[in-house]
Amino acid sequence: MFAVLHLAHFPLQALIRAEPALADRPVALLAEAARGAPVAEVSSAARAAGVEPGFSVPRAQARCPGLVVRPRRPDLEQEAGAALLAAAFGATPGVEATLPGVATLDLSALAAPRRGPALRLALAELQSLGLAASAGLGPTPLLALYAARQAGPGTVLTGSREWIAPLPLAVAEPAPDQAAILADWGLRTLGQLTALSKAEVTHRLGRDGLALWERAAGEATRPLRLASPPREFAAALDCEHELETLEPLLFLFRRFVDRLALDLRNAHLAALALELTLRLADETAHTASIRLPEAVTDPDLLFRALQTHLETVRTPAAIAGVRLKVAPGRVTVRQQGLFDGGLRDPHGFADTLARVAALVGPDRAGRPVRTDTHRPDAFKLEPPPPVLAPLAAGFRHPPRGLPLRRHRPAWPAKIELAGRTPAFVWTDRVRGAVQACDGPWHASGDWWEPGRHWRREEWDVELADGGLYRLVRTPADGWFIEGEYD
Amino acid sequence: MPAASPRSLPALRQLLHERFPRATPGAAEPLATGVPAIDEATGGLPRPALTEFTCAAPSCGSSLLLGALLAATRAAALRLALVDADDAFDPDSWEPDLLEHLFWVRARGAPEALAAADLLVRDANLGVVVLDLRHAAPAALRRIPSTSWYRLQRAIESSTLAIAVLTPVALVPSARVRFELGSSSSLPALSRERPSLAAALAPALRRQRTGTAFAVAG
Repeated sequence: MFAVLHLAHFPLQALIRAEPALADRPVALLAEAARGAPVAEVSSAARAAGVEPGFSVPRAQARCPGLVVRPRRPDLEQEAGAALLAAAFGATPGVEATLPGVATLDLSALAAPRRGPALRLALAELQSLGLAASAGLGPTPLLALYAARQAGPGTVLTGSREWIAPLPLAVAEPAPDQAAILADWGLRTLGQLTALSKAEVTHRLGRDGLALWERAAGEATRPLRLASPPREFAAALDCEHELETLEPLLFLFRRFVDRLALDLRNAHLAALALELTLRLADETAHTASIRLPEAVTDPDLLFRALQTHLETVRTPAAIAGVRLKVAPGRVTVRQQGLFDGGLRDPHGFADTLARVAALVGPDRAGRPVRTDTHRPDAFKLEPPPPVLAPLAAGFRHPPRGLPLRRHRPAWPAKIELAGRTPAFVWTDRVRGAVQACDGPWHASGDWWEPGRHWRREEWDVELADGGLYRLVRTPADGWFIEGEYD
Repeated sequence: MPAASPRSLPALRQLLHERFPRATPGAAEPLATGVPAIDEATGGLPRPALTEFTCAAPSCGSSLLLGALLAATRAAALRLALVDADDAFDPDSWEPDLLEHLFWVRARGAPEALAAADLLVRDANLGVVVLDLRHAAPAALRRIPSTSWYRLQRAIESSTLAIAVLTPVALVPSARVRFELGSSSSLPALSRERPSLAAALAPALRRQRTGTAFAVAG
């Protein structure tokens, strides 16, 4: 058993999918962008106004003054075709990209009761992707195609030899001269043609007549030229008009994300990261890699990650093209432990972190991790772990003393010494007599690396007016207050 | 006979809370801090609520308090976000295990810190948000409108989040609890074990509003 998913007026649907504002307007699509190209497709509003395919543009505009004339957009058609295949692969891996807007599915491996629901699901997927499709079922690819073309949007129709008999001859697409001859013979339907002997038709109309008879019978089957599922999960588009605001950009990415999420689900993969490229009008590009906290196929979560990033992006020029690539990976399944500190909402957390990073800068937020050095104030910021490791059992040697509140940058100080110990401290913020002090403690490091050598002398001082401070002297900067013990 | 009409917004909220208790989430248990003076006075940090710690003296122990919160949240498998308006946190002062669950935001001043806190308090994955404004510029602190603090309170009403705000002076009108850290440590404190220093912290309770968040909000 075969099925066909059919997108009627495919080039037009591909255009309107990207520009929904055109849905209710009279639109004529040119066969090519060249001057003088005839109208190839018309919308229902344009048809109602009297515009037909084959008209010249002036003639079409004379019939319909408000006509929107656009050339065909191969990139949009490619994206719509990818969406069609994605929906088809959801039903079966045996899919053929038969024609633009037509996908033929081999459903022989699918039990009969499951075929209808599978096709309806594919139609619903296409609907959510902004494409109105119809589906046909039949014992041969051709019968399934005829059924799909006859079915209304969103419906599934089953074709059989008896069913096609009353269909008009035009369904079998006869050549104009054949159509004229058959009309002279008084034949109007497929059933009337196939009622004639195949040999007699061949004798009178030749090999083309035989092919027409077989198409009218719809019984000839053929092996499908199966398409391969996508290996790269990416979508790209050149913008006809440069984008300057976020809203149309988000609309485009929503379409991309919906289709790519479907591709990922079909392949039993999930997105690990998103690679985004915005091609700018000044011939530069903005690129970003968005790492996702968990492998995910939910288009809402993918879109939220993109939106969060895009809301923080300011480009120096308008956007002329976009590309989105998904790094796929296997879905990880982890059972939550009773006592572990996993995230309640990993994607919400990633969203929050991205917003905070956009506010303060990506290098100014994260989990502090001390680096393996004695150099003071040496640390790096890492992303918070998705799961907290269990707490180690107590400290063998509890830390001593008060933690430090660092002054970044340190406060330059003037020091009055009594002998070798500080006796009075002046800074812009604090000043006072030193009531008690400990020190000095000398430290140095990185002497083996040219230009990174450091050496310092530290004192802990208590001022008479209150306050414990770390006083530091370095050969390069002299005295300063590094921080307050607190 | 119908009840008398409430005469103020807080009274109306109180009435609604009494009539429809299930529509208003109940308060979670306070988060024990491990600092006896705080836990005995209020049971810990009230949730969901703001707690203000005014730091009236230098070296008053606000970082020790932060360490106690880090330890308490680590033990409870909660995440703690520190919004550091003055970029003063010192990772070298802490054991790496105590920093495992910390999300540190190095803001550049009070306005940026408040904006970051406003984002963080809405996240369901955090248990405590500490907003450190202790050394923020006084002029910037004065410019924070009181509505910002009520906005933070509103944001956490349906959560179990605790917000601790470290300030140089009493500043947060929507704080349910306010403690004052008023005494400076002396030099011998630098040679004592830190757990005993934290246990000896003696913040003075300056404000404690009781009742639900609804009663406080007005």
